[in-house]
Amino acid sequence: MHAIRASVALVAVAAAVLTSACAPSATPVTTTGGTTAPAAAGEKVVLTLGSWRTEDLAMWEDEILPAFEKTHPNIDVKFAPTNTNEYNAAIQSQVDGGTGPDLITCRPYDVNRSWIKKGYFEKLDGKPMLDSFEPLALDPWSDDAGSRYCLPTAAVLAGFYYNKDIFAELGLQVPTTQDEFLAVLKKIKDNGKYTPLAVGSSESWQLAYNGLYSVGPVYWKGEEGRQGLIKGTKKVTDPEFVKAFEAFAAWKPYLPKGFESLKYPDMTQLFTLGKAAILPDGSWNINQVSVDGLNVGVFGPPAETAGGERYLQEMPDMAIGVNAASKNKAAAEEFLAWTATPEFLEVYVNKVPGFFSMAKQPVTYTNPLAQSFADLKTGAKLTPRLGLDRLSAGTPPFDDEVWRVLQLMLNEDLSAQKATEELQKGLASWYTPQQ
Amino acid sequence: MNRAHYRYFLAFTLPALVVYVMFAALPLVNSIWYSLYDTDSGVARFVGLENYVYLFTNPTTSERFWNALTNNLEFFAIHLLVEVPLGLLLAALLTSGTLRRSTGLYRTLLFIPTTLSVVIVGFVWRLIINPLWGLVDFPLLGDERTALPTISLMSVWQYVGIPMIFLYAALLAVPNDVLEAARVEGSGAWSTFWRVKFPLIAPQFGLIAILTYIWTFNGFDLIFALNGSAPGPNYSTDILGTLFYRTFFGSSGQLSDLDLGATVASVIFLIILIVTAVYFGLLHRRLRSYEL
Repeated sequence: MHAIRASVALVAVAAAVLTSACAPSATPVTTTGGTTAPAAAGEKVVLTLGSWRTEDLAMWEDEILPAFEKTHPNIDVKFAPTNTNEYNAAIQSQVDGGTGPDLITCRPYDVNRSWIKKGYFEKLDGKPMLDSFEPLALDPWSDDAGSRYCLPTAAVLAGFYYNKDIFAELGLQVPTTQDEFLAVLKKIKDNGKYTPLAVGSSESWQLAYNGLYSVGPVYWKGEEGRQGLIKGTKKVTDPEFVKAFEAFAAWKPYLPKGFESLKYPDMTQLFTLGKAAILPDGSWNINQVSVDGLNVGVFGPPAETAGGERYLQEMPDMAIGVNAASKNKAAAEEFLAWTATPEFLEVYVNKVPGFFSMAKQPVTYTNPLAQSFADLKTGAKLTPRLGLDRLSAGTPPFDDEVWRVLQLMLNEDLSAQKATEELQKGLASWYTPQQ
Repeated sequence: MNRAHYRYFLAFTLPALVVYVMFAALPLVNSIWYSLYDTDSGVARFVGLENYVYLFTNPTTSERFWNALTNNLEFFAIHLLVEVPLGLLLAALLTSGTLRRSTGLYRTLLFIPTTLSVVIVGFVWRLIINPLWGLVDFPLLGDERTALPTISLMSVWQYVGIPMIFLYAALLAVPNDVLEAARVEGSGAWSTFWRVKFPLIAPQFGLIAILTYIWTFNGFDLIFALNGSAPGPNYSTDILGTLFYRTFFGSSGQLSDLDLGATVASVIFLIILIVTAVYFGLLHRRLRSYEL
């Protein structure tokens, strides 16, 4: 019995210890890397590129980096990805500890702003490579004074995939206004053969990213409303936001049964099995929705009224910046400038369908569905996700709260009025411009 | 213990001790250390207990913390109230002799789920109770009232083999002469079990309870596999492990906060430490007198 007791005690302590064991990657000591020592002429410079996209490893190593090294024989770039979920913490402990990669892939908005504040990046102001991008594309990676730190690589779009065969069978037209959209949904429901909307509420993030942030900008007028919230000139309880939440709540009658516990893969499956007509989703799911040879098209969020302004969600996803502590800044900047060229962008966006170039110069997409997604940008006002810029840099994070209230709106019939009141209260509790 | 013995004792325990200190004790002390600092500005600043004060006074973080703690207690209670009696029943059936030669087969079958990966268990159960293609029409995991009990029962299904094997071993260890004496005295199977076997295996329950406590308060994997790092609906399945993960690593809409994460980890450690210490200090010592 003694042996058992001893081993149990050990298990107890070990188990308790495990809880806290993941913590030590937080290094309270800040150090900056060594001094800048330019590589001697003729010597090969080795650069590392940190990223959260482990799935892109083969593409970088087999296609992109060889193409770069062919024209830049004295630079050798190594792609060093970390798991997506641990990326932020990993980069922070690496850079703080002086072992960060020369090139850092930048998260959009607040994460990157906190990294800029900690001095992780080399300033890019005045460099000609910035000229390839519109200010809206550069803003997610700038500081409060408007200085630029990262060069945009790719964005994702969101819209509505639809099953062309079902639309043809039921004689439906692609809707262009909110009323037409609801009429289409009603027709599909009345027919009874198909689920109108393949939406489940179990994963609340996609209710915001593929739902509200797609249908809402029409009401809050995209950047106008988003910047208004950020500057504090508008409140979430303002009528344009309440209307947007109501437009989202109007989906409820058209969801599949048991939607409360359906996950994101269930939704995709419902659509690809041909049992649902419309799937509100992001461009990153292009491959999955068309994998079974399904006849899929895509349409953008409908306008409020006929002939009204169209909006499209373009979410900046990644950019690349130069580590301020890198020993090879000149080479790193050379590589960075190359990522703004069509030579890089065409390879990248076509190898990873669903990602879209943010550069001014148009890029051709070989995937037809990706091309029709890119075509939606023409004539539409672009706007990123509502809640991620500044509004989520405190507690409670606005974006997380949006997820939660949208889920409550579908599951528990929380009204748009109450939902926006709750959001405003949370935001006003810490966000100074809203106080 | 003489000097030579002591030297051997040291020589044999030292390697394990070094590994333990380096990979378990030091990180633990470190993480408590970090919880006393603020590194958000890029420069480490000693703030004392400020992180703890923030965790318990900020309306949002404290609401999430108490919600996670309550959910964790419910998670623990369901394990204790369902898993342990079920384990006892299965162990009693296995030792009753009615299964004859198939005892080994059942013992193995009942223990197999314990060895499965939580990702597989979560996935299979999610399919079984999926309202679209599963057996149940009701969205069990989508309703705030049923989500946590449902996940707890999945976990009970998976780990019922652990208390079963503990109690099974204890029941096998009950001496035959005691049972024979009971039979001679005219005791039936029912009263033999409750009046003879049960008191003899009773100390096991304390042990199982404390292991379940430690295990459920360190719980994370099944909920993370099923519901991710912001476990819904409306945080109804959020437990301390997922709260820690979300605070430390961040989630899509939430920035990762290393210091506050270390603070949450330290609080979880204290919650486990205090109860475990009380158990080993008081209860377990008292239980000794009832042992054989």
